[in-house]
Amino acid sequence: MTRCVWCTRTFEPPVTLQDLLRWRPLPVPALCSSCQERFTPITGAHCPACGRQQATTIRCHDCERWGTETLTNHALFQYDAGMKAYMQQYKFQGDYALRKALQAPLYRALARQTYDVLVPIPVDQHTWLTRGFNQVTGWLRDQPFQQVLRVKADHKSQPQSAKTRAERLVTPQPFMLDAAAAKIIANRRVLLLDDVYTTGRTLRHAANQIYLGGAKAVTSLTLAR
Amino acid sequence: MIDLSEYFGRRLSAATGTSQLGMGMPAVQQVGAHYQCQRCQQWLADTDQLPNGAWYCRQCLQLGRVTSQTKLYTIPEPNRFSPPESPLTWTGELSPDQQQAAESIRQHVQLGQNQLLWAVTGAGKTEIVYPALAWAVTQGWRIAWVSPRVDVCLELAPRIRAAFAAVSQCLLYGEQSAPYQYSQLTVCTTHQLLRFDQAFDWIIVDEVDAFPLATSPLLQLAITRAEKSKGQHLYLTATPGEKLQRQIRQRTLVTTYLPLRYHGYLLPQLRVRLAWRWRERLHKGRLPRPLIRQLLAYLGKGQRFLLFVPHVRDLPEIMAELGQQGVRGGVSVHAADPERTGKVQALRDQKLSYLVTTTILERGVTFSNIAVVILGGDDAVFSTAALVQIAGRAGRSADFPDGEVTCYVQTQTRVVRRAQAMITRLNRQGKQRGGRRP
Repeated sequence: MTRCVWCTRTFEPPVTLQDLLRWRPLPVPALCSSCQERFTPITGAHCPACGRQQATTIRCHDCERWGTETLTNHALFQYDAGMKAYMQQYKFQGDYALRKALQAPLYRALARQTYDVLVPIPVDQHTWLTRGFNQVTGWLRDQPFQQVLRVKADHKSQPQSAKTRAERLVTPQPFMLDAAAAKIIANRRVLLLDDVYTTGRTLRHAANQIYLGGAKAVTSLTLAR
Repeated sequence: MIDLSEYFGRRLSAATGTSQLGMGMPAVQQVGAHYQCQRCQQWLADTDQLPNGAWYCRQCLQLGRVTSQTKLYTIPEPNRFSPPESPLTWTGELSPDQQQAAESIRQHVQLGQNQLLWAVTGAGKTEIVYPALAWAVTQGWRIAWVSPRVDVCLELAPRIRAAFAAVSQCLLYGEQSAPYQYSQLTVCTTHQLLRFDQAFDWIIVDEVDAFPLATSPLLQLAITRAEKSKGQHLYLTATPGEKLQRQIRQRTLVTTYLPLRYHGYLLPQLRVRLAWRWRERLHKGRLPRPLIRQLLAYLGKGQRFLLFVPHVRDLPEIMAELGQQGVRGGVSVHAADPERTGKVQALRDQKLSYLVTTTILERGVTFSNIAVVILGGDDAVFSTAALVQIAGRAGRSADFPDGEVTCYVQTQTRVVRRAQAMITRLNRQGKQRGGRRP
């Protein structure tokens, strides 16, 4: 008997033959099956640049609009009603316990990526004080990461999610590199980790800074697209 | 400058303006080895800590997160109202039975006693409370009318607003946008009481046996804390649970009892019919033959009906099968349905001929002429109270006091028999008061 971290109902986790044959402690899922179904994984054909679910495998309209400023992003889930409800409770209501819901899929996705340094997108000081956690690092279990990016002190803390697309695109560079960053990322492959890819503005700002630090390659992974 | 009246009798977190509010108390306090939320009084789990060191409460998260760094402020309730001389603007009339019940409630309120009004479904509970409420308003009391069901609150608020037009009122529930206003009469869901502290002289709890209040210690505690130490409460129900019934038997709770509907007709009895292994057959795409026959007969007569089923996941299969058998002209509705209120209204307006639903429509809804069918009444989701409430949907109007209630079960369970016994008992007592068989 396990309690679902989202709907708080108890449920019986399914046990497969594979779980038994592995001869390890049984995995304890954080979500019951009906909560799990609220997320829609991105499968099959998707945009090769931003990871959006679509019918073809050519670059999507939004990525074309970025022109030469390219960034390769992978995404795990579609940003639909279920994911929005999750983000609402986790990020905006601040239910830190919900981080457990997506730790397992993120763990598996990170294992498939090739990178040397994992860099999560930071939160600004004000968010840190009010929310009390960084929503991105919450999803990490014990994977090592380097917090080499910082949010500039003079950055106005209006959240990206409260802006229109046009407003987002003109957002000035909010990040700066940590003093010790160069030693960590010089000539390494860096993977940026963020919650939602919407226009790609934030991730490109972050990637530019990482490149300035001397990184060899920068790709990104987001929970939702 | 903040509006201090927001804090009268409440327990609220504040961002600024703390000097006028005094010290306040931390919203999450350590008690022994554990942490306790001071808003909902629940214990935190050992894992509910944020990376910045604060502890936060998950139980009342829906009301806005409180952490050990948040402070809660309260100003003792000053009862700053100017009540009108005769607050009751309701022009309807009570039947002699209702009159008697209303008088009894008013007397007990004046004596300051906690009490229960046990009146059958369709007895007109709300109106019975009006005289006592009018008296309480003239005393300058602050009063809350609460229910665990948001539908009940939404239906109730305009009625009370019209009946007490000159009394300041506000309606509080989860998804509403209107701001809070300090007022003498508060209609709200039981969850909202978590934001109050020793505020009310009188709390009226409507549908006290309904989910989730009946099973939630959190909400029961919320009522206790929102009531002043010298305050009192009145429970309204048609189907008191085991605990309340025990208190009634032991005479530890003053009870006013009304076993007759306002129109003077007896309650329709549950008719039980066997439907052997209906769920297994449903998976094969078959519904019980007698059920189909009955529903087709209703459609032929132009009789609207409600079909109650145990679970939301049963709905698609049943709808598909009904469509195949020619039972058309209706839709299904469940708790998370965004068009829920629209569908209920469509049935009322006779635009639909039936609704297939779960227990969400068991109480608080009235259709003037409706037949009720329950499929799987022996399922664990239907409690005795739920079955009596569902049966109470039928025959509510004085023009159509007769209503059929049919319950299809696989086995006669104790719950179903108890529901029948409760209706029989109420009807026996109703008959003594001159109740007629429709």
